[in-house]
Amino acid sequence: MEKKLKDLREEYLKIPIPKELNDVVQAALNEKPRKKPRIGRNILVSAAAALLIVTASVNISPAAAKAMSDIPIVEKVIKVITFVEWKEEANNSSAVIKTPAISGLENKQLEDSLNDKYLSESKQLYQEFTDSMSKLKEGEKGNISVESGYVILTDNETILSVQRYTDTISASSSTESQFDTVDKKNEVLLTLNSLFKDDRYLQVISENIKEQMKRQMAEDPEKIYWVEDDDFTAFKGIDENQNFYINEDGKLVIAFNSYEAAPGYMGAVEFIIPTKVLSDLLVGDQYIH
Amino acid sequence: MKNPEMNQLIAARITERQENLYRLAFYYVKNQEDALDIVQESIRKALASSSKIKDAASIDSWLYKIIVRTALDVLRKKKKLTVADDETIEYLRRGEEDHYPDLDLQKALEGLSVKYKTVVVLRFFEDLKLDEIAEVLEENVSTIKTRLYKALQLLRINMTEREETKRWKKN
Repeated sequence: MEKKLKDLREEYLKIPIPKELNDVVQAALNEKPRKKPRIGRNILVSAAAALLIVTASVNISPAAAKAMSDIPIVEKVIKVITFVEWKEEANNSSAVIKTPAISGLENKQLEDSLNDKYLSESKQLYQEFTDSMSKLKEGEKGNISVESGYVILTDNETILSVQRYTDTISASSSTESQFDTVDKKNEVLLTLNSLFKDDRYLQVISENIKEQMKRQMAEDPEKIYWVEDDDFTAFKGIDENQNFYINEDGKLVIAFNSYEAAPGYMGAVEFIIPTKVLSDLLVGDQYIH
Repeated sequence: MKNPEMNQLIAARITERQENLYRLAFYYVKNQEDALDIVQESIRKALASSSKIKDAASIDSWLYKIIVRTALDVLRKKKKLTVADDETIEYLRRGEEDHYPDLDLQKALEGLSVKYKTVVVLRFFEDLKLDEIAEVLEENVSTIKTRLYKALQLLRINMTEREETKRWKKN
């Protein structure tokens, strides 16, 4: 028996190690943690130059332009436009980075701070892409695809919710998103904290998400969330910086990036929190109803 | 807060042990693509929860733990493995033997349920100590001891049965 187990071990150790292993491991180790991206301070001159050129051709959507011309000047039109778009293709890799900009807010401070954030994060992304390209040796293929853009999730009388996403495909794919929700009437940026009376909502929303996860897993064996109580990477709950937006029905949606609350194959997942669960905790019903 | 030094330690350990981690993952899924996915996802999980590890000495068993769990997740998804208790699985497994009359120990081991296979692999192939295996599987040492003993027993039974089948076939 002992002898046979030894033979078996020899066989086990002969499991071929693919040559990609090292690359996969290094790529995974060097992935940026998915917390707040750092704001790039040293933007290369070339990137800045590229920015100048493209900014000149700011791409206002025809619909937005039409809307603006139709409406008397006194009325404010709060819109999201594509401010700048970078495209780059080299070494079997590509990057398409679209930067949104919000226009029409009277609160210029808010408008500028959002737009500055969008721009600097896009620059950062572009920079990372060109950096990783320049590290490639002659003839080596990058096989990376980066696509970054934005989606207007909700645009009604009171609320504007914008999602910015970055899809990165190298050995596997991942999607990261960030969300901004602006109160168009009062011109303020909404945070989770600002929607609720006190921090009881953290617990309530977390519990509701866990329930939803468990229910979905019970209904569909294909679905897996990290929600088992004994799992050390399990979803423990949200905090006040959790990604969220308000959808067109006025419901609060909690969003997770890939790998945050579920295995990679589940992608980025979202949970709509039923308003009746929250109604006692909300400051008011003008946003969420 | 994350400790950058600990992250570096973990990264170094992962790089050093990557082949072991890969082999273990491969052992479960038996194909390169899934095994690589498991390694990649495990590293992500490891880095994301690195704050939970206090003692540098337990990095290895912690990494094995993540690999085992991630591999089981993938298996569950792949095979839509419905959870059956081990006895049922053992019972069903035994039924297969007729189809493979000349199985060796390798096959006998494959025939064990994941629960028993894991302890055998970790103990004999990855050379982990019983208390390390206990850490990986979050069980106490005596449970692991019993499980290993049971696994060896099952292997022996499986093998004897096979040898008898062979003998019987020859006659």
